Amino acid sequence: MSVEFRRLIGALRRVAGMPDYDAYLAHLRACHPERPVPTRREFFDQYVTARYGDGPTRCC
Amino acid sequence: MNVRTPLGKGKKRRTLAGMPTLLWALLALAGAAGWGVIALHSGETVNAAWLVLAAVGTYLIAYRFYSRYLAQRVLGLDDRRATPAERHANGRDFVPTTRWVLFGHHFAAIAGAGPLVGPVLAAQFGYLPGTIWIVFGVVLGGAVQDFVILFASMRRDGKSLGQMAKQEIGPWTGLLAMTAVLAIMLILLAVLALVVVNALKDSPWGVFTILCTLPIALMMGFWMKVWRPGRTLEASFAGVALLLAALVAGRWVADSPAMAPYFTWSATTIACAVMAYGFVASVIPVWMLLCPRDYLSTFMKIGTIALLAVGILVVLPPLRLPPLTRFVDGTGPIFAGKLFPFAFITIACGAISGFHALVASGTTPKMLLREGDARLIGYGGMLMESFVAIMALCAAAVLDPGVYFAINAPAAALGPTLQTAAHAIQQWGFTVTPGQLQALAAQVGEASLVSRTGGAPSLAVGMAQIFSGAFGRGLTAVWYHFAIMFEALFILTTVDTGTRVGRFMLQELAGHVWAPLGRTSWYPGTVTASALVVGGWGWFLVQGVHDPLGGINSLWPLFGISNQLLAAVALCVGTTVLIKTGKARYAWVTLLPLGWILAVTMTAGWQKMFAADPRLGFLAHARVTLNQIASGALASDHGARLVFNDRLDAAVAGAFMLVTLLVVATSAWEWILVLRRRRPAESAETPFVEAARVG
Repeated sequence: MSVEFRRLIGALRRVAGMPDYDAYLAHLRACHPERPVPTRREFFDQYVTARYGDGPTRCC
Repeated sequence: MNVRTPLGKGKKRRTLAGMPTLLWALLALAGAAGWGVIALHSGETVNAAWLVLAAVGTYLIAYRFYSRYLAQRVLGLDDRRATPAERHANGRDFVPTTRWVLFGHHFAAIAGAGPLVGPVLAAQFGYLPGTIWIVFGVVLGGAVQDFVILFASMRRDGKSLGQMAKQEIGPWTGLLAMTAVLAIMLILLAVLALVVVNALKDSPWGVFTILCTLPIALMMGFWMKVWRPGRTLEASFAGVALLLAALVAGRWVADSPAMAPYFTWSATTIACAVMAYGFVASVIPVWMLLCPRDYLSTFMKIGTIALLAVGILVVLPPLRLPPLTRFVDGTGPIFAGKLFPFAFITIACGAISGFHALVASGTTPKMLLREGDARLIGYGGMLMESFVAIMALCAAAVLDPGVYFAINAPAAALGPTLQTAAHAIQQWGFTVTPGQLQALAAQVGEASLVSRTGGAPSLAVGMAQIFSGAFGRGLTAVWYHFAIMFEALFILTTVDTGTRVGRFMLQELAGHVWAPLGRTSWYPGTVTASALVVGGWGWFLVQGVHDPLGGINSLWPLFGISNQLLAAVALCVGTTVLIKTGKARYAWVTLLPLGWILAVTMTAGWQKMFAADPRLGFLAHARVTLNQIASGALASDHGARLVFNDRLDAAVAGAFMLVTLLVVATSAWEWILVLRRRRPAESAETPFVEAARVG
């Protein structure tokens, strides 16, 4: 995958408020190398629960 | 350049502000030309292009000059200051995001059915009042509100509007604001659900397509969760493709005598189905239904809005609705009430929408890469939403006025047949023939379009005209149902997320009374709270379905009033933040829209409660109904329910007004104390931290 394509995919994800597993892994490696790395599925579960947990995410 | 405001230097970034002066002069001229043509050609047909030109010209000038003033002088955005996304980066919700991507995210979150439906309904006054309010309301009101709240939340680690009200004004005000939000949500969900019910009743094509979204969403959910965990994008693209297939298959279902009866549902059936859906979506895990539908509707929304913009620019349709209609006197069939104040509450989203304050203090402030980006995202994002409202207004105004009123006026005003409808519309000074109405309905693949109130069907007819003009004729029916599907899809997404959020709020409030009720994972609590929330908005929905005046007439103004009052609450929070951070001399930027919004909503609220005209005033309507019961013209049990609903609506309007006045009063008291130095000007702003990456 070219860099541009990956960037486009990332942008689409961010616009729709989707989880970005690769970005999260990069963050973990850079900032908290000591923490356990969740699987893709675990990350998806945590992300979705948190996102729809509180406060409106959408307007009328 | 002022040293304290390093914004606008724009080293390598190419910004709008960097455009040469000559170009700005040309833009100003183009905008002025648009307004000039609209003003001078009243009486003749004006092309939609002039409306678009006037709006876009005004937006760009306002963005260039007013939002820069707000960013530099009033708020003092500082790119050297680290944003919450940088300080709390966690790769999940606090994620530094580049500005155009975040712009898309924020826009997708604030744009919904509101800016599409409101302008269509307000077109009963003609296209001019709506246009002026949408453009100037956003520039001086809506965009300022969104920008200031986004800024305030960004400086407070992404705190919500309720939390900021509590911190900045006081704990009681915070509690009032939270209660107001919950109540507004119930009215909002009811009126949006009513729009869906009216768009889908007796329409097998529409019902089939929308029902198909359920298995499609479940399939996407299993794709993302079980089959290929976390692959949200590919699941969404598969979902969009299946949805378009379902849209095409809908025609086959509608044309099939064997299948069509199964999908021809009455308004009451659809209302019950929507309530059941809201309840189920609120209690099952989010990944099954809610989250996939959210993704689906986001992509559909952005795609369709882009398509509409292209369509309008390609077709450049003439506006056939007059700039002003006779209904500015308050006798309009779609909703009662004069131009002032009702044009200004009917169009809420698109000009100013309090609900945005919840989004601007939600996910967006946690994703800002630089402080300076808040200008594009807060102010610019709202300008974009306003542009959507202008496009919706164009789509309504390209319709023949007779057709527009035939679709939007309630059955009570039009009578039972095509002939009575055509006759009633002639009385209003517009011409439409029964044959014309029948041909149009056949063209879009519906049995009838008369009295399909709520705005969505007339918007869909207008959009279908524009789309088939731009992308090929002969597909009008598919485009019509595409537009209906797109509106119903994201309204139902608002219904499911809204019910869930309402459930969480209710559980939080109940948790203060008895702790176990506050645990959102406790299943009996979840089920009870969901049922209560669905029951709350469902009551108003059913009331709207059975309302002899059509439902929209009572519920849409109630929604407009509540949404604008939430804007008043948000502007109070914004003003308090400005005053407490030593910017009192700039507080007029939020006080100006606050004053206007209070004047509009208090007048509208008062009239809805106490006006003598039974079409306008809830209590007057209750009196008329009581007389009808007394004279035996109305069955007493049915009449008693109407009277109860009228009184309930009046009480709700009164309660909204009271809550808002309390918030305004407590805020004003706080401002006076701070300005008189009786209270220290202390704000909960997080202290300055230098940004790691500068430039």
